[in-house]
Amino acid sequence: MQRLFAFIEHNFHIILFVILQTICGFLIFSLNPYQQATFSKASLGVTSSINKLSSDVYSYWDLKSQNIWLQNQISQQFKESFPQSLNYLNDTFLINDTSMHHIFDAIPAHVVFNTAHKSNNVFIINKGLNHGVRKNMGVISSQGIAGIVLSSNQKFSAVMSLLNTNMKVTPHINGQEYFTEMIWDNTKLNRLTINGINKLEQINIDDEVSTGNSSLLFPKGIPIGHISKINIMPKSQYFEIELKTATNFRNLEYVFVIINKEYSDLNDLISND
Amino acid sequence: MINQITYWILVIGFQVLVLNHLDISSYIYPQVFVTLLLTLPLHLKKTYQLLIGFGLGLVMDLFIYSPGIHMSACLWFVVIRIMILNRQDLKEHANNKLEYSLKTAGFSPFFYTTLVLIIFYHFYILWLEGIGNINIEYMTIMGLSSSLLSLTIIGVFQALKLNKYS
Repeated sequence: MQRLFAFIEHNFHIILFVILQTICGFLIFSLNPYQQATFSKASLGVTSSINKLSSDVYSYWDLKSQNIWLQNQISQQFKESFPQSLNYLNDTFLINDTSMHHIFDAIPAHVVFNTAHKSNNVFIINKGLNHGVRKNMGVISSQGIAGIVLSSNQKFSAVMSLLNTNMKVTPHINGQEYFTEMIWDNTKLNRLTINGINKLEQINIDDEVSTGNSSLLFPKGIPIGHISKINIMPKSQYFEIELKTATNFRNLEYVFVIINKEYSDLNDLISND
Repeated sequence: MINQITYWILVIGFQVLVLNHLDISSYIYPQVFVTLLLTLPLHLKKTYQLLIGFGLGLVMDLFIYSPGIHMSACLWFVVIRIMILNRQDLKEHANNKLEYSLKTAGFSPFFYTTLVLIIFYHFYILWLEGIGNINIEYMTIMGLSSSLLSLTIIGVFQALKLNKYS
């Protein structure tokens, strides 16, 4: 302690100089408008670059939770989105009120295993029977259709990818539904082929192909892909159309399982017909 | 003591009332009052020198409303003066409680000390005033011309003192 006091006493003029200069610095940069502006500008440059670095690091570490949050947000929006819902007007019958009834629900899921190079590709998601996922439910990514649930256990589900020769989805192009087949012919990744559309139809490259009303598994308007190539066969009355899938199956990571809450009722009705 | 206080008041008054309003050129802004710090008694403790420098800077800042600028410059002035005087053999003068002047230090050491301190002071003030947007050419011309005029006036002060005591 004595040494400390001796040190302070011996160097008191230096300590005093530093204290007085600090006071001067404070006065210069707080009471002189020009110096204040210069200091603010300089400090802003330094602090903003430090803040950016800190923000970048934080964002990187926070990416996983952000992804989960975004998935939940999309799922919520999907539920609340008007075009994805059936609108029931109940005033005709019992209740003199108008209400919205959601027919489709969405469960966010993470792809834990995926193949895209086989003829019959499947991927596995981390949601199963415990989460309400059952066989024959549609699965979409944030870009478009991804597949249909093949089977589920308590925790996981196997999903038939759109890149599967057994996959059947009815295309809806330019406001018209075509009851034909979209085929994965295992030649190019993320490319499907549509046959059976008559040459008289108005089909162009870059037209969007989406889901229509005929599917009970997917809401109307979910993108399947875009038309990338149209082959006109000389001896055929049909186009051979190549479709680029909206979903990139090579890096598929986050998906949503679509639950049609009225599936069994609608399916029974259709089956009876 | 009264003479000393009167001398200080006169020098500060000369700076504030005359030199600060001198309109010779936009390039000339002499700071002669620092002669008071330059000629502080040699036996004075470093701490007191710093406090005197801080106080004198505060007075100047109050008159020209430049908070902190002259205070900071005066503090550096005192510190550099201490460093330069430590290299000069002035122990005998310090023991006799003499002030630092042309008479006590001799022409060459005094001129060297004054030159370094005056040039430093003017450039430091100009740098602080234009910080962030410094025009090197303007700063050099103004710093050198103001320093030259300050040196001349301080030289006149010293010559008058020399005549008075001889």
